[in-house]
Amino acid sequence: MKPVLKVEGLKKYFPIKSLLRTIAWVKAVDGITLEIMSGETFGLVGESGCGKTTTGRTILRLIEPTEGKIIFKGKDVMSLKGKDLLWFRRNAQIMFQDPYSSLNPRQTVFNIIMEPVRFHGIEVNDPEEFVVKLLESVGLNEMHLYRYPHEFSGGQRQRIALARLMALKPEFIVLDEPTSALDVSVQANILNTLKELQSEYGFTYLFISHDLGVVKYMSHRIGVMYLGKLVEVGPSDRIFENPLHPYTQMLLSAIPVPDPELAQELKAKRKMVKGEPPSPINPPAGCRFHPRCPFAKDVCRKEEPPLVEVERDHYVACWLYAKS
Amino acid sequence: MTEKTVKYEEKEEYEMGILDRVSDRLIESFASFITLFRKDWKRKNQSRIKEWKLMAYSINRSPPTLLGLFIVIVYLFFGIFGPYLVTWPYDFFPVNYNVSSQLAHPGSSYFLNVTTIQNGYIIHYTTNVYYPLGSDTYGRDLLSILLAGARTALVLDIFIILIGPTMGIILGLISGYYGGKIDELIMRITDMFLAFPGLILAIALSAVLPGRIQSFLNAHVWAQTFVLKLFALHPRDVNNLGKLLAVFVALVIVWWPGYARVTRGSTLTEKENPYVEAARAIGLPKRTILFRHILPNIIGPILVMITMDFGGIILTEAGLSFLGLGAVPPIPDWGNLINQGSQYFPQAWWLVAFPGLVIITVVLGWNLLGDGLRDVLDPRTRRSLEFKLKKKTEGGEANA
Amino acid sequence: MPEPILEIKDLSVYFYTYAGVVKAIEKVSFDVYRGETLALVGETGCGKSVTSRAITKLIESPGKIVSGQVIYHRNDGSTVDLLKLNEEEIREIRGNEIAYIFQDPHSSLDPLYTIGYQIAESMEVHGRIKNIKEGIPKVISILREVLLPDPESRVKNYPHELSGGMKQRVVIGTGIANNPKILIADEPTTALDVTVQAQILELLNELKRKYNATVILITHNLGVVAETAQRVIVMYAGKVAEIGTVEQIFKNPLHPYTKGLLKAVPNPMIKVERLEAIPGTVPNLITPPGGCRFHPRCPFAKEICRKKVPELKEIEDGHFVACNLY
Repeated sequence: MKPVLKVEGLKKYFPIKSLLRTIAWVKAVDGITLEIMSGETFGLVGESGCGKTTTGRTILRLIEPTEGKIIFKGKDVMSLKGKDLLWFRRNAQIMFQDPYSSLNPRQTVFNIIMEPVRFHGIEVNDPEEFVVKLLESVGLNEMHLYRYPHEFSGGQRQRIALARLMALKPEFIVLDEPTSALDVSVQANILNTLKELQSEYGFTYLFISHDLGVVKYMSHRIGVMYLGKLVEVGPSDRIFENPLHPYTQMLLSAIPVPDPELAQELKAKRKMVKGEPPSPINPPAGCRFHPRCPFAKDVCRKEEPPLVEVERDHYVACWLYAKS
Repeated sequence: MTEKTVKYEEKEEYEMGILDRVSDRLIESFASFITLFRKDWKRKNQSRIKEWKLMAYSINRSPPTLLGLFIVIVYLFFGIFGPYLVTWPYDFFPVNYNVSSQLAHPGSSYFLNVTTIQNGYIIHYTTNVYYPLGSDTYGRDLLSILLAGARTALVLDIFIILIGPTMGIILGLISGYYGGKIDELIMRITDMFLAFPGLILAIALSAVLPGRIQSFLNAHVWAQTFVLKLFALHPRDVNNLGKLLAVFVALVIVWWPGYARVTRGSTLTEKENPYVEAARAIGLPKRTILFRHILPNIIGPILVMITMDFGGIILTEAGLSFLGLGAVPPIPDWGNLINQGSQYFPQAWWLVAFPGLVIITVVLGWNLLGDGLRDVLDPRTRRSLEFKLKKKTEGGEANA
Repeated sequence: MPEPILEIKDLSVYFYTYAGVVKAIEKVSFDVYRGETLALVGETGCGKSVTSRAITKLIESPGKIVSGQVIYHRNDGSTVDLLKLNEEEIREIRGNEIAYIFQDPHSSLDPLYTIGYQIAESMEVHGRIKNIKEGIPKVISILREVLLPDPESRVKNYPHELSGGMKQRVVIGTGIANNPKILIADEPTTALDVTVQAQILELLNELKRKYNATVILITHNLGVVAETAQRVIVMYAGKVAEIGTVEQIFKNPLHPYTKGLLKAVPNPMIKVERLEAIPGTVPNLITPPGGCRFHPRCPFAKEICRKKVPELKEIEDGHFVACNLY
């Protein structure tokens, strides 16, 4: 299986300006390397400020990366221009978190879905029928064709956004917290639809979320981010059964579990949770997690740990596992 | 894959007043009218039609807005048909002709010896002239001049709005979306224009420009005819057009920067929305994003500004012609009537009172309409409008 | 026998809007017992926030409390119907005996005033301190209680200088400043990271113990409910669907909606083969479905469900459900 996407050393720094000089940098993404295989879902988790959203957008060049290589289906994304860039846009799409502002309130559903189709010059025999079929595949119907976004609920709007993506049949989709703003029951529906579409069309997903339960349900592999860096990458089952990085352990122990008995058990183990995710403006030296880490050693304060493979396909960046 | 599509029995009926039925009928005929040209328009725009109807209902429930709407409709009506409906055309009494009925009192009648030129023949006759609102310093019927003046005001309104704010909006969009150096450049130019007090700039321009405009007009007959027809003026008054158009240019120049600023601000906020990012993700060019995605979503407050400015322009223009710039007699204009009146105040009080009243009413009308529109267009205030809509539901506990 | 501190009977709130009359909550009834943590659970539009605000008449136009009673049992044994109090009287209770903690810490604090001022303000209004300046030492001790690091210097900070978690602690501080008997927390951790959420929930628990307060926790997160609550009220489309203890609700859910909700939550601790979604969408509250409001989406719906509005029935001790199946 060939990787659809290869990212090497991706960095995105945002300048903080005072008058006209740059006085500091927000190191939102600070050296991400990963590979996503065709047809798989790669989950990216982390808390606020970890850079997962920026990573998603930078990979699609919606934000220009500061540094790094992005290879999409063998082509170097950074050097794409003109027609090639359009090809990339058509095949690498994004679905947003907020259903209430990701659709143009002044466009009808029909236009929202047909716009990318027309723009990319995709030939369609009967536009209305085409759109109706797409709507039906995401659980809507032709009654909704000429309505406006505000007439729909959050879940339905996400479905419309999904239909818009499906119109282009992109190979790679970045899903940026697609269900975080939705109710639980609606969320389940959308996630199931996403999975079905993946098995039918072989889409590759980058699933970004802070909700670990959702990420586990959707992803084959998971990457845990902290302050702009990947601290652990591995198959989703293994990450949950055997979390290696102290931050991953902290994260997992903090999840409120919808089971009263289990919850009490887990609460007892939760003495690990400490502090808050710091700001990415001046990250701590050495291993970025060391101020909150219960196992921090001397070396953690000075040097950044490299990503090492601890078990098959399961990597972690921590001095507990790496040899300095 | 499909969710179970559940149909509720939805029967929504609002408590409909007469006005609601009227507005419904109007909107539906408008929709049918458009369907004559574009088949299927009605079906495809059901939601939009429903929106219009809801907007009409909220307008119907606001007496000030209705008043404003009424005034505006009257203004528009006379603006278009005024010059043709008057009993006495504005130039019936040539300005330099001494008529004994100058400064007649309201309600007076005069038996006049009239000498006019018609079809090249000099005609003398006597006629009875009734002045319901009095006459001005040239003996012209004030009521007729007021009605004819609506045309002058309306034409200036429309064309200034067409050019000024449009320029401002386009510049604002570009400035807000592209940012960087272009933004700086446009904003500094806007600042330059805004640095001058509007009225002073308008006065200065109105003093300087007439000469040039006049020579342009004299050189191009088609321009002359066009402007004359527009303002419903007699070819005799060609030489006064220069001053009139100077005011037009002056007001356009003074008016556009405000729109550029406002549009830029709205663009800056709007472009942060995910749907704009989604458009970029599709690969749409900036041009399309600006005009198809951003503009329709920020047009609300700008539309309200425009409505208010219809009134504002009348006021400014009246102020300028009061000072003797712009529309000078014999061109019918509310401002220059007040100018005439100011010289004979308070004896000929009607020359100040009636034009003044008309200006106040029209400007008020536009303001009320603008206020009402703002409440209707802003989704937040719209939601909190307390609506007593009687609902007839199918089953359910609402009536329990 | 637990004694009630709040008895809500037949509470109905309607919103008279541009688009129609929204029946936000309809004949909602339940009791809140002294000293417990009661979770009010439901999805968007179920009416849980409206219910919590209606308790102290915090409903603004175009909303109106159409009917109902909210009987508050004071410490001295007297009872009073909060809905019958006038503006002055209810204001004495708000922030004092019944305090709120709202969802978004970024907008619950006024950006123009220091956090010290804002906490002191709520104390001054209810007469616990003479003026703002004199109240600062008390404020500092409150900040210490909510585990805000470095309270002496933080007191002078403005909201924007604090992180989300810290802001929420300040908001909690404002809530407990006057030793409330009832603390109503409306989605207090939804806007926070999961590690911060865990800490804030822990803090709330601690404070509840310390102040002997009753907590009404509003959330849509079933994990949070399982961890913190003792009793649960499940709401749907403006009505109460089920009431029970946390064990009863999670182990033996009676209402089809509750069952569906539990099956739709992805539990990361177990292997989930497939999430089951509840078909259909939340109904339009302007024209809610007749009979049981859940019937269009219910897999067990019968003829009667379309017509008869189910009443709350006690099935086992303390476990009530409003469903025509029972």
